[in-house]
Amino acid sequence: MDSRRDKRYFSKKKVCKFCTEPIDMDYKNVDLLSRFISDRKKIVPRRNSGLCAYHQRQLATTIKRTRFMALLPYTVLH
Amino acid sequence: MAITPNYYETLYVTRPDLQEEALATIQNKLQDSISTNQGEVIKAEKWAERPLAYEIQDHKRGIYYILVFKALPDASKEIEKHLQFYNTDILRFMTLKITEEAANKSKASQEEKAPKAEPTPAPKVEEPKANLKLKNLKLKK
Repeated sequence: MDSRRDKRYFSKKKVCKFCTEPIDMDYKNVDLLSRFISDRKKIVPRRNSGLCAYHQRQLATTIKRTRFMALLPYTVLH
Repeated sequence: MAITPNYYETLYVTRPDLQEEALATIQNKLQDSISTNQGEVIKAEKWAERPLAYEIQDHKRGIYYILVFKALPDASKEIEKHLQFYNTDILRFMTLKITEEAANKSKASQEEKAPKAEPTPAPKVEEPKANLKLKNLKLKK
């Protein structure tokens, strides 16, 4: 029964955006980076961003740099 | 082993109401510290004027300037020292070491001078040079 139920769901295979497309991760590219922050301005986790571990780590550092330069907020409370 | 010059990119934010003369003196100092360290300026331009994501010293807007240069490592230290000195006018600054390719790309983009303000081609960031004061953030609950 369980196995049949499993078959009904198709999980779309996630592919890392930065692996497939030739985009450079740059801390000045605010439009791109703002796609990877949540409503509360948190960095989205890997399960939501769909990035590979390497690029997720890079993304986190890049967003932190962007925040320091006041291009992205740290929080909604500012 | 001889010390070889590196490529650096500095982004700094000034107050929106900064006088041109004051800005010129700061930029001249930066220029000097590059030239004394066997360096050359690859790109120096105004990047954008935009609202800050959060207030810095009660300022809500800031003007972003970008400086790409090739120089000995001491130059980046000196530049940061100058920027720190004018910390009432310079709200934020950050220097990153970039690759040669990224530096050449940014040079090319400046020569093209595309009509629309395209985000400058991404330098591959290698190592942070700035002291990120990220941990100082205290959230008010």
